[in-house]
Amino acid sequence: MFQSVEEVQERFREGRYIASRRVATVVFLAARMGRPVLIEGPAGVGKTELAKTLSEVSGRPLIRLQCYEGLDEGKALYEWKYAKQLLYTQLLRERIGELIADAPSLPDAVARIAGQEDAFFSFRFLSPRPLLQAILATEPVVLLVDEIDKAEPEFEAFLLEVLSDFQVSVPELGTVGARHIPFVVLTSNNARELSDGLKRRCLHLFIDFPAPADELAIIRLKVPEVPAELAKAVVNAVQKIRAMDLRKLPSVSESLDWARSLVILNARELDPAIVESTLSMLVKHEKDLERVKGALDKVLAD
Amino acid sequence: MDQRILEFIGDLRRAEIRISPSEALDALSASAEIGLSDRDTFRTALASTLIKESRDLATFERLFNLYFLDLQALGEGLQKALGPEDPRVRDLLEQLLGEEGMELDDLTELLLRGQGSEMEMAIRASGRGAGLERLMYFLQVGFFSRRIADSFDWSAVEADLERLMKVLEERGLDPGQLARIRNYLELRLEAFKRMIRQHVERELERRAWRQGEKLTREVLSDKPLFALTADEVAQMKNVVARLARKIKDALALRQRQEQRGRLDTRRTTRKSLQYGGVPMEIYLKRRHREKPKLITICDVSDSVRNASRFMLQLVWNLQECFSRVRSYAFVSEIAEVTQAFNTYPVERAIEWALKGAPIDYHCRSDFGYAFSRFARTELDSLDRKTTILVLGDARNNYNDPQAWALRLIRERVKGIIWLNPEGQWGWGIGDSVMPMYAPSCDYVRECRTIAQLGEVVDNLVHHWWRKGR
Repeated sequence: MFQSVEEVQERFREGRYIASRRVATVVFLAARMGRPVLIEGPAGVGKTELAKTLSEVSGRPLIRLQCYEGLDEGKALYEWKYAKQLLYTQLLRERIGELIADAPSLPDAVARIAGQEDAFFSFRFLSPRPLLQAILATEPVVLLVDEIDKAEPEFEAFLLEVLSDFQVSVPELGTVGARHIPFVVLTSNNARELSDGLKRRCLHLFIDFPAPADELAIIRLKVPEVPAELAKAVVNAVQKIRAMDLRKLPSVSESLDWARSLVILNARELDPAIVESTLSMLVKHEKDLERVKGALDKVLAD
Repeated sequence: MDQRILEFIGDLRRAEIRISPSEALDALSASAEIGLSDRDTFRTALASTLIKESRDLATFERLFNLYFLDLQALGEGLQKALGPEDPRVRDLLEQLLGEEGMELDDLTELLLRGQGSEMEMAIRASGRGAGLERLMYFLQVGFFSRRIADSFDWSAVEADLERLMKVLEERGLDPGQLARIRNYLELRLEAFKRMIRQHVERELERRAWRQGEKLTREVLSDKPLFALTADEVAQMKNVVARLARKIKDALALRQRQEQRGRLDTRRTTRKSLQYGGVPMEIYLKRRHREKPKLITICDVSDSVRNASRFMLQLVWNLQECFSRVRSYAFVSEIAEVTQAFNTYPVERAIEWALKGAPIDYHCRSDFGYAFSRFARTELDSLDRKTTILVLGDARNNYNDPQAWALRLIRERVKGIIWLNPEGQWGWGIGDSVMPMYAPSCDYVRECRTIAQLGEVVDNLVHHWWRKGR
């Protein structure tokens, strides 16, 4: 997939994603070693974006599994299309009737129907969910398991099983193995501790808020309309706000939103009035907002 | 290099970072993929395969720097030692070494042309021969440096260098140039010797670090709490945090196991009606276990302050194991300090409870007064789910112990647990009134060290409210 760490960096850059050397190294290693990557870090630093960009630059389709509380195997792996199965049996009632019409005894009739079971338990009536999709895919894919920490530990254990041998057994159909090992990216916000087993399987990548220079580069790349001076001022202010003791620190996605809104408002520089009116793009909690507003002159100082 | 990485992993494990064999293998294959050319990339490769908790990253960084020499920085250091290099001298040497008939000793070759990394490898290899693993004290650095240096065959090197100079002389170089070359060679020799010493020093540092880690965990957790210095208190915070995590992990496992239970016939029967009386879905009775309410009452006078500090920290780290935690501090006047924990981070709240609560910190402890005040004001808020954890040495300065107050409190709550940071041999001697309070307590424990404190809290979390009292 990639020949060197530099190539990863280069291609991600083309995909409009600034990957630090660390990020690029881990992606490179994961591609080489065929290992899943577990990405941890605060919300909005580009964990999901990394997987999306990866799919883009490698030309592999992205299959996304969004985790949430209550996610179970059925929703993640496969489900039988019960309604369709029922509908078909109704429609085919006559044919079924014909089939067993001349059966001499009840056990015989049952045996004949059992002989046709395959017709109803086939891939035709199976609706594959993300995990099975990734396994059945005819071309290599990127599988994104988003916010794995939101799912229950039981699901995590199940996922671990799937990730360790990339095969799934559907009782009615037998075992299905993956044709290509998907590139798996898991993300976590650390809402709870993940199991050791899962961590052991994965390469671990912690993405923190970017360094000022990187953040500037990201803003210039994603919001090219923003003037250079303004972008610098934005990064400067965001860095200062991050140093404050807030409930929710502004992330890269928030600073991008802020930069965009400043562009829409035609701002040339950060004056207190415009900052105050757009600050809610950056700081999302009422109390935090008050605190930042109180220290606005410090935030805007060079 | 693999050997080095494995050694490194060994030390990470000793620093209580869990690394499985499969992760170690991953690290080896990752380093093989990446190579050693770029130190940062190499570090990332190791970090991403070995370190799965961001809190372990700091330890990793520190150890990494001890293990893997910053070759680039070293190269620059070497350059500095050599002074501005004369390209002509270098070219001349290169040319000379390339010629036929100049058979040189391996070591000379290394000295003249070797890169920093090759030199380091050579030093490391002979370090193993010189018994460097016995290095323990700073005073041994000189000895081992010499020993490693002695393992190289210097006479061969000198002979080589002499020969080299002679050849150069024969070629008719002027004395000035010759002196420069001699100077260059001597500097490189010097740099190599310095590298040996550096290697030994770093090895010592690594060993000291390893010892230090062990000390922090083992010795510190068995050291009497009152004897801790300010530095040790700071180190201890990590020990306590680790302890809390251990207790919590064990608890999480149990809770999961306890999800199973006996058949709930009522719900199963009702559900079976849906399937014509066939019990298709089974319901189990979940055993509910009530989380206890916890009230900690801490003596914060000087003599037991450390013990109180760690108990508060431990209890607050374990908050989710309790349905409610309230804390009181007293010397003789008693005050609730719970609200501090809601406004400040734990560390600051503890500091506040130990120093800034609205009580007089400079009077003498009076347990009797504190308990009677507590009984008078808080009795109504106590109930059968509440467990009271008292931490104090019960040295009452000959005041009235007012044991009735504690008895009264005991009647209202599930139980009282008393932790005494003083050795058991001292109870009841002098102004200690422990024997008078003990009958009201369900459970009195000596709690002189952090290990004992951990045991008690672990016991409390895991067993105390199992007994259904």
